[in-house]
Formats: sequence, C-alpha cells, structure tokens
Amino acid sequence: MATSSSASSLSPPQSGGAMVAERRGIPAASFVEDVQVYLNQLGLDVNSTLAFLQERLQQYKVVEMKLLAQQRDLQAKIPDIEKCLDVVSTLQAKKGTGETLLTDFEVSEGIYSRARIDDTDSVCLWLGANVMLEYSCEEATSLLQKNLENAKASLEVLVGDLQFLRDQVTITQVTTARVYNWDVHQRRVRQASTSQDS
Amino acid sequence: MQQSGGASETEVTWDDQQNINKFGRLNNRLHELEDEIKIAKEANENFEDASNELILTDEEVVRFQIGEVFAHVPKDEVETRIEKMQETTAKHLEKLNDEKESIVAQMAELKKILYAKFKDSINLEED
Repeated sequence: MATSSSASSLSPPQSGGAMVAERRGIPAASFVEDVQVYLNQLGLDVNSTLAFLQERLQQYKVVEMKLLAQQRDLQAKIPDIEKCLDVVSTLQAKKGTGETLLTDFEVSEGIYSRARIDDTDSVCLWLGANVMLEYSCEEATSLLQKNLENAKASLEVLVGDLQFLRDQVTITQVTTARVYNWDVHQRRVRQASTSQDS
Repeated sequence: MQQSGGASETEVTWDDQQNINKFGRLNNRLHELEDEIKIAKEANENFEDASNELILTDEEVVRFQIGEVFAHVPKDEVETRIEKMQETTAKHLEKLNDEKESIVAQMAELKKILYAKFKDSINLEED
C-alpha cells in the first residue's frame, strides 16, 4: 500500500529530530521535501492527494479523542490516590498517640454520620471489581505509592503520545497547504503559457 | 515571470517544519498552563478564606477534610496543615508561572524566525 511504504521511503532523517515511522500504532506523517516529487511518488493527482491527506487528518482526530479521554481519566485518578495516601498517613500518625479519631463521613448525599476510629494497624483498600482487601498501614502506603507512580508514568507516556500526534497533525496540515498552493501555482503557470501561445 | 502574492514558492524545509511543530506544542502547553495556574490561584484563595475563618471561629475542634471524610482535628493542627498546604501551592504556582514565562519567550523567538521566512504565508496568532 502506498501509505505505509511512503512513510519510510520519502523522508530521510535530517540533522536534529530523526523521523520515526510510527509511535505506538500512530502512523507518522511523512515530511515532504518537494511537492512534485511527492505527487510522483504517490502516483496520484492533486485532488486524490488532498483527499488522502484529509482522510489522514480525520484518523488522527479519532486517535486524539481517544488519547484525550484516557488523559482525563488518569488526571482524575491521580488526586484520588493522593487523597487515600493522605488518609492512611493520618491514621499512621495517630497510631502512636492512642487517641481515637472522630470523623464525619458521607452516608448519602447531604447526610453525614460520625465515626470513631480507634488505634488500628490495618486499613482496607478498595481495589475495584467489588474487591476490598485489608492491609497493614505500611503495606497500604507502599501499594498506594506504587499505584500513584504508575499512574504518573502512564500520564507522561500519554502526554508524549499526544505531542507526537499533534506534530503529525501539523505536518499533515502544512503538507495539505503546500500541495494546494503548488496546484494553484501550476494552474497559473499553465494559464500563463496558454495565454502566451494564443 | 511575475508571481502575484498568495501562492508563494517558499520551500518548507524539515527545520521549518520542526519549528512549526514546536510552536504548536508550546502553544498547547501554554493553554494547559493557563488553566493550571487558574486552578492553583483558586486553591490559594480558598486557603486564605479557610485560615481567615479559622481565626474567627471559637470552636476548639475543626472538621478538616482529609480524603473523603471530615476528621475532627484540633484548631492548632488545622492551622499548621493549612499553612503547609499554602506553602506547597505557592511553590507550585511559582513553578507554573516560571514555565509560562519561558514558553512565552520561546514562542516569541519562534514567531520571529517563522515570520522572517514565511511572512504572509503563515499565521501564528490566536484566533
């Protein structure tokens, strides 16, 4: 298929910023050195090329929506984990003193109840999928820390993917503009030469 | 052969493309930063309000939100906690503002370079 072969053959890496063929399933947009050469290599006329580039843009948009949704999820998860860590560390701090902790917690919307938490060594963590496990305070802290680090690492990778994606979108838009301008220029040249001949 | 304005023949090199990409990335990051700065400023204001309320109240035990529950915490400890949180937020806000300044400077640099090469063929303004 012309699409996948052109990605690697068309643009040799230049100084600074090597081109990758794709990143985690996102095809890279090939950078066009010369519009004429690009059109010859694709073997398509201008309109088909423009249509192909538009299609690529649509595909990128779809992937971008998906990645943005994942990013939103992660960004909501991270404060949650931090809140849990807060609670566990508060319990741990209280452990030595032997005081009971009084808290008000939400039973239902707008309805709160008081709870007395005595000195305790363990907490229960909700792991999802209707599973809750009891952990000692230290184990709970390390588990929550690990989850937090994983979430932050995933978020970083995701942000990198989004940046790569946006770069490809920019390249594709610039290529579209250049192909269009080239076409306008060609028409003008042809018109000028035909008006000269007549 | 005359070339009227519009369809210019300025070639786009890989370096130009990378500059354009970088400008786009910086622009996106700038918008994200502005949102984050707004949130951090609001958080700061909330801490201010909270510590003011604390001074006014005459209760000894304050219900302080930790996670999803409100723990009964003595007033002094609440004060200490709020101060600590204020410090963290202030430092975070400073870091965000520094990053924003650096990005604005980089974007101005790139604008100069790109407008010099492409003049009218490129538009780098916010719509």
